[in-house]
Amino acid sequence: MHMADALISPVVGGVMWAATAGVAAYSIKKIQNDLDEKKIPLMGVMGAFIFATQMINFSIPGTGSSGHLGGGLILSALLGPYEGFLTMASILTIQALFFADGGLLALGCNVFNLGFFSCFIAYPLIYKRIIQKGYSTQRIFGAAMLAAIIGLQLGAFGVVLETLFSGKTELPFGPFVALMQPIHLAIGVVEGLVTSAIVAFVWKARPEIIEKASFGVAIGNISIKKVVTGLAIIAIITGGVFSWFASVNSDGLEWSMFKTAGIEELEAPDGIHQTMSAIQSETAFLPDYGFKAPENEQEQGAVEREESWPAVSAGTSVAGLVGGAMTLAMAALAGMIIRLVKRRKKRLAA
Amino acid sequence: MSHHKLEVKDLHYIYPDGHKAVNDMSFCIYHGESVGIIGANGAGKSTLLMLLMGVLFPCQGEVIVGDVHVTKKTLPFIRQRLGMVFQDPDDQLFMTTVYDDVAFGPRNYKLEEKEVENRVLQALDIVGILHLKDRAPFKLSGGEKRAAAIASVLSMQPDILVMDEPTAGLDPKSRRRVMGLLKSFEHTRIITSHDLDMVFDLCERTIVIKDGEIAAQGLTSEILVNAELMDSCGLEVPLALQNCPVCGIRKTVKQPRKKGNDETP
Amino acid sequence: MSNIINSLYNIRLLDDLARKETAIHKIHPLMKLLTTVVYLTVVVSFGKYEIGSLLPLFFYPVMVFALAELPVKPILLRVLFVAPLIIGIGILNPLFDHQVFYLGGITISRGWVAFFSIFIKCGLTVTAAMLLIATTGMDGLAAALRMLKIPRLFVLQLLLTYRYISVLMEEVARILRAYSLRAPEQKGVHRNAWGSLAGQLILRTFDRAQRVYEAMCLRGFTGEYNTGGYERIRVWDLAYLAGWVSFFAITKIYNIPMFIGSLLTGVVK
Ligand SMILES: Nc1ncnc2c1ncn2[C@@H]1O[C@H](COP(=O)(O)OP(=O)(O)OP(=O)(O)O)[C@@H](O)[C@H]1O
Ligand SMILES: [Mg+2]
Repeated sequence: MHMADALISPVVGGVMWAATAGVAAYSIKKIQNDLDEKKIPLMGVMGAFIFATQMINFSIPGTGSSGHLGGGLILSALLGPYEGFLTMASILTIQALFFADGGLLALGCNVFNLGFFSCFIAYPLIYKRIIQKGYSTQRIFGAAMLAAIIGLQLGAFGVVLETLFSGKTELPFGPFVALMQPIHLAIGVVEGLVTSAIVAFVWKARPEIIEKASFGVAIGNISIKKVVTGLAIIAIITGGVFSWFASVNSDGLEWSMFKTAGIEELEAPDGIHQTMSAIQSETAFLPDYGFKAPENEQEQGAVEREESWPAVSAGTSVAGLVGGAMTLAMAALAGMIIRLVKRRKKRLAA
Repeated sequence: MSHHKLEVKDLHYIYPDGHKAVNDMSFCIYHGESVGIIGANGAGKSTLLMLLMGVLFPCQGEVIVGDVHVTKKTLPFIRQRLGMVFQDPDDQLFMTTVYDDVAFGPRNYKLEEKEVENRVLQALDIVGILHLKDRAPFKLSGGEKRAAAIASVLSMQPDILVMDEPTAGLDPKSRRRVMGLLKSFEHTRIITSHDLDMVFDLCERTIVIKDGEIAAQGLTSEILVNAELMDSCGLEVPLALQNCPVCGIRKTVKQPRKKGNDETP
Repeated sequence: MSNIINSLYNIRLLDDLARKETAIHKIHPLMKLLTTVVYLTVVVSFGKYEIGSLLPLFFYPVMVFALAELPVKPILLRVLFVAPLIIGIGILNPLFDHQVFYLGGITISRGWVAFFSIFIKCGLTVTAAMLLIATTGMDGLAAALRMLKIPRLFVLQLLLTYRYISVLMEEVARILRAYSLRAPEQKGVHRNAWGSLAGQLILRTFDRAQRVYEAMCLRGFTGEYNTGGYERIRVWDLAYLAGWVSFFAITKIYNIPMFIGSLLTGVVK
């Protein structure tokens, strides 16, 4: 599943963007060291291939339904992990721009969920390990199946965590995981079946393509370790920076408080806050406004009170409604006026 | 102008799988000449062109452009002299706009952006698709794609144009247009094709290839009428030279082509 | 089958739109990219129960639609296309969040507020991304990425993928047409043909990549992707960015609808 912009918070989006950019930069460096410029058009055209094959319905035997190819694993198997990751990144970028699949802020999340796990975890640690013993149809089948399932399970878990940390939607951890993982088990099985069928076919027809990909680039444990520690550092730093920037409106924090306290709005420790929360929960259009991050309340108390000034009076909800309607009407009006003016201009010009 | 001469000596090429695609070919093409290379499917025409361009390197023998041997080192020079138009324009038009595509070559030779622009506009003007410069290649018709592919080579200002089946898949009108375009060039031209009427029209000289070897070479007007030779090489005499199917009158070689030959069944 | 044609149509449509020449189209690609990123960040930075303060952000897409003379329908249709997924996730909010509050005498569940908030954010973010591409185009965007120092290798590869999507989609469409003509009763591709159908296509794709590579080499490609010069950034371009960013900042800091509303209701009283 693609993460959507609407489901993530800027902190989560930013951290995942940074992580993805880190991995991408590392991959580009790796490829440039190889200096095989032949791979560039190959990556481009294979990206388009994945795009196009995603349109094919592979009917699943005995179910009456059909599945699709995701792509991360097969790209790694045919091009190598670094190339696969970068190709996934451009596929997802184009999907976000042209097909509104995912989104620009969620792009980091999506590339990570669909690219990183299959190219840098499932491929080297599972697929390659099994294949190393030599190619055969059975081994390709087993390797692709296992790697696809694990890659997608990790990806799905990534979606769950990113959604929860973002806190834009009310989904308790348990049910969400229970929903996501089995769905992605099914998707993973299909991915594994299709990938193994294709890889086996290509291996029989043009063995050099497959064998070159897996033996050409050495992706040992050392580089994986490097990648992972690098990522952890990036994540911590950017996480820190972003959280600091976003501390006034920290949605990620809100979630963690929700988890630990069991309720969303912490009981405010002092009197002012209590009365405010009482008033607010009754009247406010935005009930949770101004109740975040109470632990650094000392510094923020003043700001909070200022920020929530419209919510204090009893008539605010009505004001909010009227104001909202007015805002929308104004936007629509502005748009229509521009259109009219433009049309008139054109008619005059004609 | 000997530096526009293209010479092929004892050329051999064997694909990695052991297939002998080019076997002992020798010929010479002079400045300003237009030469057709014909032969059945799989005869080795495209392979030969790849060897000329230095995309493949011969197992034995050599290709000499002017007085420069085609080797890995001389490739940048060779590729400025020789421009190749591919069989499938989609392989050649890989950028997002026609303009960028035509500019791709000049930019790689690190020309000034102003000069790049001049060359691009000039090349597009020559092939008559200046108005399509901001279009995406996937939104062009087959004929327009072909024209764009030719422009992308012209912008490199080569001396020798190498073309793999320039009229394949074109409708009669587009085919005529491309032929007119090719005819108007003063470059040395090397054209492979199954469109023998076009070869007859455009090329003074023809090289016939059969199973990787040169079966015959000489004046087009002599080779294409040789029914026996053509038949043994998996080809046939161009329609323009065959008996008229309606009245049965045999056309003579010297007879100029009439308009409407395309419609002959 | 129909989704291939739809996708191709969609790419072509956006590509066509990007070649218009309105005031918005003429603004520097980098400025439009940055504006979009700031806009998206502001949109998603609002909490899950906030609807009111989101509303002024409707101004941005409305203005771009109008100024860039873009057709509203096809782009909004695309947005509706992704909506089911968002609705699927968002609809769980009312199920899990039962707290209620009162608004002008009506009881409203917080879950529904969160749902609408997600729904609006989805509409705004998706529209903003499509507006970016519909006013900038892939080549403009590539130039912007290069100016942001994104490595050439990635930009070139992105452009190549974009370029060959339509070629390969048409190829897939032809293959599927041929397949379905001889397998009339099947909904998808049968398991027996998975490997060979997609595998053949891969082999052809590899051959094509090889030819593309050769075509590039013949025109002097040595692994470097040389773009032309960049468009200069004019004062007007900067003003565009600065204008929108300050507008977004104001909507983030002040609750404008509430302000208007209290002004109005105050006046009425
Ligand atoms: N990459 C390759 N590996 C092995 N053999 C090849 C390869 N490419 C071509 N061949 C073989 O070399 C021979 C010559 O191929 P070539 O493409 O040059 O033919 P052609 O004359 O251009 O044919 P056509 O008229 O169909 O384009 C053919 O028998 C073909 O099967
Ligand atoms: Mg050929």
